[in-house]
Amino acid sequence: MKLPNYNQRLLTIEKRTQRFMLGAAGVLLLVLLMIAVRQNYFHRSTPILFFTPNAQGLSKGMAVKFIGFKVGSVEDVSMQPNATVQVEVSLDNEYVHLIGQDAKARLVKEALVGESVVEIIPGSQQVKQVSRNSVLEFERGQDASTVVENLASQLQPILSDIRQITSSGDIQQTMRNLNRATGDFHETVNQFTRLGVSSNKAMDRMNSTLETLDKAIPKLVDKADSTLDNVQSATADIKKITNESAAEIPSLVRNSNALVQDGQETLGGVKKSWLLNGLFPAPEERALPVDGYIAPKQP
Amino acid sequence: MGFRLAISLLCSIGLLAACGHVEETRSARQEQATEFNQRAQRAYQRGEYQVAAAFYENALQLDVAVENVNGIAINMLNLAKVNQVLGNSALSQRFLDSLLEDKSLQYAPQHLAAAAVQKSLLRLQDGDVAGATIWADKAAAWCTTDCLLAGVIDNARASIALHEKDAEQALYWSERAAAANKGESPLEYANALRLAASARLLKNENDSALRLLEEALVIDKSLGLPEKIRQDLLLSAQAHEKSGRVEQAAQFRDRAARIAATAVK
Repeated sequence: MKLPNYNQRLLTIEKRTQRFMLGAAGVLLLVLLMIAVRQNYFHRSTPILFFTPNAQGLSKGMAVKFIGFKVGSVEDVSMQPNATVQVEVSLDNEYVHLIGQDAKARLVKEALVGESVVEIIPGSQQVKQVSRNSVLEFERGQDASTVVENLASQLQPILSDIRQITSSGDIQQTMRNLNRATGDFHETVNQFTRLGVSSNKAMDRMNSTLETLDKAIPKLVDKADSTLDNVQSATADIKKITNESAAEIPSLVRNSNALVQDGQETLGGVKKSWLLNGLFPAPEERALPVDGYIAPKQP
Repeated sequence: MGFRLAISLLCSIGLLAACGHVEETRSARQEQATEFNQRAQRAYQRGEYQVAAAFYENALQLDVAVENVNGIAINMLNLAKVNQVLGNSALSQRFLDSLLEDKSLQYAPQHLAAAAVQKSLLRLQDGDVAGATIWADKAAAWCTTDCLLAGVIDNARASIALHEKDAEQALYWSERAAAANKGESPLEYANALRLAASARLLKNENDSALRLLEEALVIDKSLGLPEKIRQDLLLSAQAHEKSGRVEQAAQFRDRAARIAATAVK
């Protein structure tokens, strides 16, 4: 009587175990499926190519961006028999229609200390869209250090010009002449006041001073003109450099900000993750310790 | 083999469940209140008491707005404490009263115990021994399970006994406080030693009082508490004086006076 019961129980346990294992396997499959979706295994993409003389800064897995959005990634970087580098980029199919065949691929750094990305510069709208294995033109964008180096190299001669102008005798000599003329004129006016209008001597002296001034002023004007020309030329150079860098600097600053924000968010996420949240307990409001001593009042 | 597989699967599911654990979220206002509280605490530790009071008020306002009962109690207690240090005894008592007399919100017993013991000490400072005793008793009643204030309440009772010149009771409560606080709270342990020394001085046991004060002085110096150091030195001066060592007493008084001259609290 006991054996059939025992067998029956064994069968029930087996069935339950099977159900449990099937359930667990189902959950595992679901997780794998979610990972696959997250990793874009089911995503359809179009490979396009570009060629570059060297592979510096390019690596497999690097993000490909189009007007700031990630539209694909670098699939392969390989050396060709003619010693050039072929880069294969995989573009998400949903964005392909936005990229014309005359679009350009540019290697840029996202921020001062950020990752490099391949940026797709849109081409003309009329041109046919890229297709499988289309070849794009490639160029290297300036990174922050290059911009700063260029700025420094172009500013250096301007600064030395300014130094030369200010330290040369021209301006100092002009100022000295002006001072002397003003001093003479002041003295003359004093004498003129003292002696009155009838004083011919003073009038003569005033005439002579005015003559000196007449001679000095054209020289002064010439020198001031030349100084102003130099300053104008320096200002024009600075303006030109600023214009050249204007396009790069705001994007660098913006990208740096985004990078810092990303960093903060990542750190926040890491702090809240299951493995590490024990190391970073959430801050709480705390009470000051109660002090059980009151000093006796002074007599 | 099947059993091993089942165990592996169970572990995997457990791991996945743990990864999916979502931490309790707090509102932005509550986080802001916490930030104010922490900034206040840092200011208090630097001795910037006015700044600390301002931050605690901000934190309290936010906690009241979101009805965070624990936060309200904590910041009220902190405001009472800061105002006590600033010498605003009346304002300090008002904060404690608004906590102790609140009929609408239910505060945790340990917060009520902390408020009651602070109130007891303030009453004692004003010379109201009866009031101080009542509030010390109330504090003891609130301080039941998981209460870390037992040693503080014992010290308050020792202070009350000293105020009444009852050396035996003062010694009893201070020694009990020293036993409760040793290894737990250096601040309260040093307080207990100082109170025990005062009790011994009342009993003319000057040398044992000096030994207790030496130990308290070392702790107070390590904690960097000028007022407590000054009290240790003044009591030491008193002990030397009672023992007839006038010169040493003068040295200790001089040391205490130099600390007082800095006006650092």
